[in-house]
Amino acid sequence: MFKLFIKDLKLFIYDKRSTLLTFLLPIVLITLFAFAFGAMGKNDAQSKPKNLLVADLDQTVASKKIIQKLDSVKGLRMVAVDLDKAKELVIKGKYPGVLIFHKGYADSLSEGIDAPLELMYDKAREMEIGMLQPVLISNIMESVGKETVSKHINKYLDNNFPHLDKGITNKIINDAVSEGENSPSIDIDSAVTLTSIVGEKKESNLALVQAVAGTAIMMLLFSVAGLGTSILEEKENGTIHRLFYSPLKGSSILYGKMLIAFFVSLIQLMVMFVYAWLVFGLDIFTNIPALIMMIIATGFAISSFGVFLAAISKTRQQAQGLSTIIILVMSAIGGSMVPLFIMPEIMQTIGMISLNYWGIQGFYDIFWRDLPTADIFPRILVLLGIGLVMTFISIRLFKKSILKIV
Amino acid sequence: MINVSNVSKSFGDIQALQQVSFEIKEGEIYGLLGPNGAGKSTTINILNTLLKPDEGEVYINGLNVQTQKEGCKMLIGVVPQEIALYSELSAFENVMFWGGLYNLPKAALKEKALKALELVGLSDRKNDRIKTYSGGMKRRINIASSILHDPKVILMDEPTVGVDPQSRNHVFEVIENLNKEGKTIIYTTHYMEEAERLCDRIAIIDLGQIIAQGDLKELKEISKVKDILTLQLANLDSFNMETVKNKFPDLQQNGNNSLLIECNDLNKEVSGLIKLIQEHKGEIESIETHKANLESVFLKLTGKQLRD
Repeated sequence: MFKLFIKDLKLFIYDKRSTLLTFLLPIVLITLFAFAFGAMGKNDAQSKPKNLLVADLDQTVASKKIIQKLDSVKGLRMVAVDLDKAKELVIKGKYPGVLIFHKGYADSLSEGIDAPLELMYDKAREMEIGMLQPVLISNIMESVGKETVSKHINKYLDNNFPHLDKGITNKIINDAVSEGENSPSIDIDSAVTLTSIVGEKKESNLALVQAVAGTAIMMLLFSVAGLGTSILEEKENGTIHRLFYSPLKGSSILYGKMLIAFFVSLIQLMVMFVYAWLVFGLDIFTNIPALIMMIIATGFAISSFGVFLAAISKTRQQAQGLSTIIILVMSAIGGSMVPLFIMPEIMQTIGMISLNYWGIQGFYDIFWRDLPTADIFPRILVLLGIGLVMTFISIRLFKKSILKIV
Repeated sequence: MINVSNVSKSFGDIQALQQVSFEIKEGEIYGLLGPNGAGKSTTINILNTLLKPDEGEVYINGLNVQTQKEGCKMLIGVVPQEIALYSELSAFENVMFWGGLYNLPKAALKEKALKALELVGLSDRKNDRIKTYSGGMKRRINIASSILHDPKVILMDEPTVGVDPQSRNHVFEVIENLNKEGKTIIYTTHYMEEAERLCDRIAIIDLGQIIAQGDLKELKEISKVKDILTLQLANLDSFNMETVKNKFPDLQQNGNNSLLIECNDLNKEVSGLIKLIQEHKGEIESIETHKANLESVFLKLTGKQLRD
């Protein structure tokens, strides 16, 4: 038994792929998830300021004073834009939300009635908005000042409890504006109106879009990696030499491999979206041209990834090990496993190096943000660009390795 | 049909071929016999246009294999050493795929695929997947996959490696049938008996050089290898050897009561010699013959066994 143990231990150690998958991959994934869920990303999130749009329609001293106050808060940076632009940026996912000081804000404050302050946000980034809420409330209330709060409460009590004793009214107002255990907490709902402006019209929910796009791209990477690396199998079993004996050109063999990977990618993505439509009611008909273009671009990028994997590997086993690591890491940082919007900003930036990121964000744009086709083009171009670069590198590498017969 | 002239090829410091030259006539089966690493596969890969020689020229049916690759590829069918087939596809699918690479019209392709399967004797199992085939059957499909475009020249690189004797005979029959159809065949092997059985002419190749080439008779003459007859007599003392030696001058004493003679054609010599020995009171106890073959030729020319 002990001899068997020693023998298997030796085999395990000699098998670099197994060793890598056993130790390195879990370490990489644990690190990524730790970042994603904030264990290590906490410091980073605190040190990097969070950008929030602000649209000041009131343009009064009071509104400007509050904006200035909020901008001075550590970890928060207010970006002033006009309302239409702000909405567009939120819908496109560039910013989590926009704080709107509606016209009459200052007047409302002085009259002690509800001030028209609204926070329009992207529901997909609810977590970020949730983190901003306490910061916004405390600083707005501080800026508004005790006097304004007193007026506000006095007005409220007069309207709702007109027969209340004046002494009790004063006591309530004093307790409310004074600091201490007895001061009442003011809910964001009463200070700021929250309005989600992305995806509200959609029947499909955010989790469904995430599940379908994230899973589809990750699984596609796995299946296409196998197809791409089949060229190494051809090398190992001798069929690639036989192909060279024929009038086929070497580059045709590569393009043939890419073509099958591309075809399978298209079919797999289409089947997955149709399934999501039939079973979960995902509205795939919202923007058919954009969906077709995204499927083609994603399929092309992923199929070139499959061939690229083969190009950088010497054997099929090596390619299989490498593909498992690369795909899992890309899926973790690119949003297939964990939605990117719950990750810290630094992780969202790192995620851009993965294929998953561009694919998932593109499908988000279609199914969640409901963006017009023109606005999805940049993501499509990035995917096509990634595909072209990987194809170019693969061809260069293939000429030096597989296409040389000895 | 094939003209190879002063071809040399090296890979780094390794000289794979040195000034190799040979000519092959149309319809010939030409054997390249040599041990592993002798340069057989390099020669095949130069002939099939995959490798570029450092020196020398190769012509197939008047086409230069380096400058007229496309034309040459249509003239050549290559049967690789590996079983280069897709095991998950059926024999018919495999043959159709490999033949299809030569841009044959679909109807002609199908017809030729069926004919090729018939030639290798596997029509009845054409729809079975290759993975269910025996080693010998795979070898035959390996050949069928190379002949759909009706090549004039078939390059066979050790097509019987790892095949049992019975299956090997099937492969031989296929090769002989192809040759009957007029195909010129280059056949590399390190099995002497295969070369002897199949090849009209043989080149003995070792360390990248062709040491000798010709038919078996010519190779025997070149190497001066002869048939050997060994006779064991009851008592050599009572035998008048000198008289017999007058007629068979090459006869020598080989041990106490043993005689040995080397001759070019054992069949011609043996009966006359035995009769003469008996006439001169020689009592023969045993006769042992050893016909000169490729093995002895190879041993004589290279100083080593082929399977070393």
